Amino acid sequence: MINTQLKYTFAKVLKFIVIIFIIDFGLGFIAKELFLSQETGKFARSTYAITKAKENILIFGSSHAHRHYVPEVIEKKTGKTCYNAGADGQQLVYHSALQGMIFKRTLPELIILNIDENFLFKSEKAFDRLDDLNPYYDDYSNELDPVFNLKSKYADPKLFFKAYQNNSTLIQAVRYYLAPQETPQGYRPLFEKMTFDKLTSHREDIQEKEYTEEIDSVFVKTLENFINEAKTNNVKLVFVTSPNLIPRNVSKNKSLTEIKAIAKSKNIPFYNYLNSKDFANKLDLFYDPSHLNDNGARLFTGLLIDSILNDNKKHFN
Amino acid sequence: MFFNSTTFFVFLSIVFLLYWSLSKNLKTQNILLLISSYIFYGWWDYRFLALIIASTIVDYFVGLQIEKSTEKSKRKKWLLVSLIFNIGLLVFFKYYNFFIESWVDSLSLLGYSIENTWSLKIILPVGISFYTFQTLSYSIDIYKNKISPTKDFISFATFVSFFPQLVAGPIERASNLLPQILNPRKYTYEGLSSGIKLMIFGFFLKLVIADRAAIYVNAVFNNVENHDGLTFIAATIMFSFQIYGDFAGYSLIAIGVAKMFGLNLMTNFKRPYFSASIGEFWNRWHISLSTWFKDYVYIPLGGNRTKKWRWLFNLFITFLISGLWHGSNWTFIVWGALNGLYLIMEVLIFKRKIRTGIFNIIPTFILINFAWIFFRANTLQDAIFIIIKIFTKPGYLYFGYGEDIIAFFYAALAIGLLIFVEIKKEFFNSYFSVFNNKHEIIRLSAYALVIFIIFYLGVFGESQFIYFQF
Repeated sequence: MINTQLKYTFAKVLKFIVIIFIIDFGLGFIAKELFLSQETGKFARSTYAITKAKENILIFGSSHAHRHYVPEVIEKKTGKTCYNAGADGQQLVYHSALQGMIFKRTLPELIILNIDENFLFKSEKAFDRLDDLNPYYDDYSNELDPVFNLKSKYADPKLFFKAYQNNSTLIQAVRYYLAPQETPQGYRPLFEKMTFDKLTSHREDIQEKEYTEEIDSVFVKTLENFINEAKTNNVKLVFVTSPNLIPRNVSKNKSLTEIKAIAKSKNIPFYNYLNSKDFANKLDLFYDPSHLNDNGARLFTGLLIDSILNDNKKHFN
Repeated sequence: MFFNSTTFFVFLSIVFLLYWSLSKNLKTQNILLLISSYIFYGWWDYRFLALIIASTIVDYFVGLQIEKSTEKSKRKKWLLVSLIFNIGLLVFFKYYNFFIESWVDSLSLLGYSIENTWSLKIILPVGISFYTFQTLSYSIDIYKNKISPTKDFISFATFVSFFPQLVAGPIERASNLLPQILNPRKYTYEGLSSGIKLMIFGFFLKLVIADRAAIYVNAVFNNVENHDGLTFIAATIMFSFQIYGDFAGYSLIAIGVAKMFGLNLMTNFKRPYFSASIGEFWNRWHISLSTWFKDYVYIPLGGNRTKKWRWLFNLFITFLISGLWHGSNWTFIVWGALNGLYLIMEVLIFKRKIRTGIFNIIPTFILINFAWIFFRANTLQDAIFIIIKIFTKPGYLYFGYGEDIIAFFYAALAIGLLIFVEIKKEFFNSYFSVFNNKHEIIRLSAYALVIFIIFYLGVFGESQFIYFQF
């Protein structure tokens, strides 16, 4: 009797699994097409960087990269094409995954990696936000698995479902279809200027930071891998910290100290604009205490590229 | 261990296969269920297993002693042992600090300022309110001669700690669950199938409705000073769906898992927001708790078979205690009192007239939502601030900033889906049904579609269920 029930169960469960698979495949295909059809917005930018970008220079980093590096300025000064692949809220693990996916198809000449103050500090959010890359999992599992597995040695079984790969992408797609976002070559300018009144509402950014955070060895390894991948593929790499409105005493920031040491040992040029006098306390160049506005971004990009050109005359001539 | 975690699915698969492979030996099967339940609970914090085991031993022993005693006074004494032990556990772990702090605060209000040196660092054990109520009902039912105690300790311990309903209900009665545990279960495909179907709906309610709504609700209720009336109305309505999705979702998953093991738990929710009166709402919302309070508080107080003023008092006290049961915060007490007052008003205005129809459903929904403000607000001051804003400053509706704007629309979409499904079930159940369709392919495709929606629209942060904190 039990055997009959078990056989019956097995047959029914199998049928249900097949139907789940068909529905997931069919509707998942539509969901992915909808995702890839986005023409503006954060996913459109990442899709472009991963699947189409052929520019000579690529910008990597978080919102500071996305808002501070003006490809138009870089192209004028260098004569090379440029795309800003910075992504709001994303951290090193994301940039590492992005590098892997882009290198699978094309190799840029130069990558400018914007270094945030907290780059190597322990952060759960850094891993949580990797979900943004799930829609690319089917096509880039070899590149994504090593990054996804940094958090857990077990693969996430949910990624088997195409529905999950495209989780939470529906309304994003509709949103950017209804209200397209202007991002020339991946750069998204901020136009407002900082004022004293606005500054008082950013207490955390104004106060002296104590830097009590601990470094995550996984991030250190990830950064070293990022450098090695670039070197192996003959892609030039530079590290840049972009300006902050309020100067910081970063001598106790273990993350920046470690990154400087890694850069030195691996011969990676490091351009530190964090406390640059050209920007410190200049309200009209900032949108908020840690983000430049368009005027500031253009000035910063110009100064940075001049320095890079100066240090790499051979390469750019 | 959370239902919405990969660990739980691995755990459930292993226990399920082992359980039915032992179907010829009831005792071994129950031992497996008991060990699995302790693993399930210990995954969260193994130290608190001692409390469940202590509560189990006390009520097992008390039950046998009540049965053995012929004198009423002795039976009463044994019942008191159970009451003092279980309520004592609850009071100490859940209310000790609350009572101390409230006492210190009230003294300072009267002008006597004293330093609070009595508060303790106490962790609230998950599910304590649920399993203490379950064991209490066992002893009370034996005392009232409604059931006989079992001598099978393993079965009794399994009844107390049965993992699907251990931490957030439904609060089972021994008369329903214990006989099922004491008797052999037979594997059927229908049991497995209906269990999985209920679980699918449960996960839909939790991951697609509750956790989506939670993003917007938390953004508003955790920053009340930055919002106005319209936003509070939207957030309160979303919270009403969040808590329904969260708790009804948990209950459905629990009932579904139990069915997979051949055990039937009681229904805990019956589309409560279609209630046409507050009384009806409490017959449809958290039924296992409502009936517990009815049987063990309201009726012993005299119920409605007494003078009218006493009846109304009984109603009020029952809901006041129900509010306190939900949490050691004045917000819950006010919420309970408000529901008690609603019921009193209903008795005074409508007598016992049965009300139906949309013109009664909408006002009931509004009243329930008004009470939810107290339930969700972080403090009583926040709740009052929110109510004042609703009536004095509508302002603009907050959708969120930047990427957060998405959260509002996802929640609205998810709630729209739920309302559609619930209306269909409540008013047009006999019409075309995809979930009970005679064609198997349509049935299975409908469930597969729900799974797709869960993975496509759900929130997968392994967030805690709200009722765990109670």
